Amino acid sequence: MTKPGTMMGKEAFMQNIARRLGRSEPLREAPARMLKGVPEFYRDRKLHGDELVEEFSRNWMALSGKVLLVSEAEAAVTIGAYAREICKEHGIERAARWDHPELNKLGLDETLAEDGIAVLPWRPDGAEIAGLADGGANPDSSGAAGNWARRSALLRAAETCRLGIVWPDVAIANTATLALFSHGGKGRSVSLLTDALLAVFRADQLVTRMGEAFERFKAAHPTLESMPSSLNLITGPSRSADIENDLTIGIHGPGKVYAVIIRP
Amino acid sequence: MKTFLSIAERHKAKLVAKGKSMVSEEIHLNHHLEERGIEAIETDLGEYILQLARETPSHLIIPAIHKNKSQIAALFEEDAGRPFEPETKVLAAYARQKLRNYFLEADIGLTGCNFGVAESGSITLVSNEGNGRMVSTLPKVHVVVMGMERLVPTFEDLEVVLNMLARSATGQKLTTYTSILTGPKQEGDLDGPEELHVIILDNGRSNQLGDPIFQEVLNCIRCAACLNVCPVYRHVGGHTYGTVYSGPIGAVLTPLLQQDMKEAGTLAYASSLCGACYEACPVKIPLHDMLVHLRHRKVKMKLTSLPERIAFKSYATMFGNITLYKLATRSAYYAQLPLVREGKIKSGPPPLSGWTQSRFMPMLPKRSFRDRWAELQQELAQRKTDGAAPNGTRKEEKR
Repeated sequence: MTKPGTMMGKEAFMQNIARRLGRSEPLREAPARMLKGVPEFYRDRKLHGDELVEEFSRNWMALSGKVLLVSEAEAAVTIGAYAREICKEHGIERAARWDHPELNKLGLDETLAEDGIAVLPWRPDGAEIAGLADGGANPDSSGAAGNWARRSALLRAAETCRLGIVWPDVAIANTATLALFSHGGKGRSVSLLTDALLAVFRADQLVTRMGEAFERFKAAHPTLESMPSSLNLITGPSRSADIENDLTIGIHGPGKVYAVIIRP
Repeated sequence: MKTFLSIAERHKAKLVAKGKSMVSEEIHLNHHLEERGIEAIETDLGEYILQLARETPSHLIIPAIHKNKSQIAALFEEDAGRPFEPETKVLAAYARQKLRNYFLEADIGLTGCNFGVAESGSITLVSNEGNGRMVSTLPKVHVVVMGMERLVPTFEDLEVVLNMLARSATGQKLTTYTSILTGPKQEGDLDGPEELHVIILDNGRSNQLGDPIFQEVLNCIRCAACLNVCPVYRHVGGHTYGTVYSGPIGAVLTPLLQQDMKEAGTLAYASSLCGACYEACPVKIPLHDMLVHLRHRKVKMKLTSLPERIAFKSYATMFGNITLYKLATRSAYYAQLPLVREGKIKSGPPPLSGWTQSRFMPMLPKRSFRDRWAELQQELAQRKTDGAAPNGTRKEEKR
């Protein structure tokens, strides 16, 4: 069996491509290209300040998402109240959140605890901290291999949480997309396993288009080794039209999505 | 297939959770797994419905487009042993709960790949439901089967194709979830697969490389816009094609990938050559031209029927010689006379009966257009000298 970082059958595969293209051997360097990336007019369209906030909000709401704009000074109090309101509306008793310095500053764990809501931080000892270490047995594991029972307490606890709270690294205005560079405390599961998603970010994290988010992603991780294993782009709630082309919201991922934008 | 099975064997896999993958349909993966006692569960809602029904997809993007709510409710009833309201919400909720269990318990997550990024070795998966993220996040092993033509050079190019795919496939600005995966989970990560395998599949694709006519078919991003606009697809549906890929792209791709002009090649006739597919195609594959080239190829290979070949042969001879042509038009006029009633042919012998079964055929006039040409030209010249506006000189409209 192959070891990590290895490749089987490469030579014959590349040789075949070269032969089909009339070359005696595979190219050693990438061929020159006339065009790369998006067209100029699209690249040149740049929104600024409130335009970004407006465009993101308009697109996010069109996808059935909700937006809360809050000032830096009132962020902690207002966002705490907003999270409580969301939990109350959906009868949520458990939430999971990224272990992110900006989120930690908001003190959401304490605020939600006032309503008896347990908050699971995404860190190795998160389940113990939240008092959810015993939770997370698969309620319907009939006939299954029992894989889930052997997974980490953190992952199993996250599966029982119905609200996920994240701090996206970048937000894209023209498609209302959250870009999550998932690594370490910024777990993939927090934005995936829950019924509702609350994303909090600052207005200066907004960019106009996807390409700028990729630029920031690459700038933050200049080498391949430092690149997170998962970059997730999230554009609205989980949805499906597979039954009679009839739109259903919340099929596997979160069906309710909330964005909080902090303005200076 | 062997590679995948060896991975499955090493992990003693019993349950494979699958994201939507047309490539895995291409190699009949589910069937092979089933033979070896490995359960493969489709987790895309549409594909899951089809798996319960033991059917194949009829559309690239909306696989179960041919099923209605009552049929789906009946399938779920059989699966759950309890009745269901044929309501989208109720049905979707059942699928969510049922499939969640598979995500959690699966030994292996298997997905296709929408785009690979060469500069970073990343795999891009898009899904609206989130099943692609589930199967690439929860199981300990993630296996990707990628068609070799899915690659784009850089992230800059990825921006183009991702925007294009969503807009052309469903009219969304962007698909809900786009995961760009670069390797398995890293040190310090608390979720994600421990192993990530990428299987790059050729399966007939490299045969199109260097082909002056067909290489462009490898540009396809599988958005299914050509299916949605195709008048033939819209009338007959995806199953009629009897292949993994249906619609105009399927009619072109299938004979090429399978190198089968005899059977699969007949799909090239499932088109009116109207070119709507080309107009809708975001990467501008000239599908309608390719369909003509495939027909040409079939004729060259002498794969058309004998009567058809004889008919076209005599047609060519007759229309290539003015004396023969004149003789033929003249004799056709007289030959039709016994069949004509009230200026029309109402029922004719085969092969004319194919036409007259459902409509009348107007009779051929005694004088052909050719016979009248000199006269018509004179008429036109007369009008010009009279100063009247010339008639019938409108330029042919460009398509």
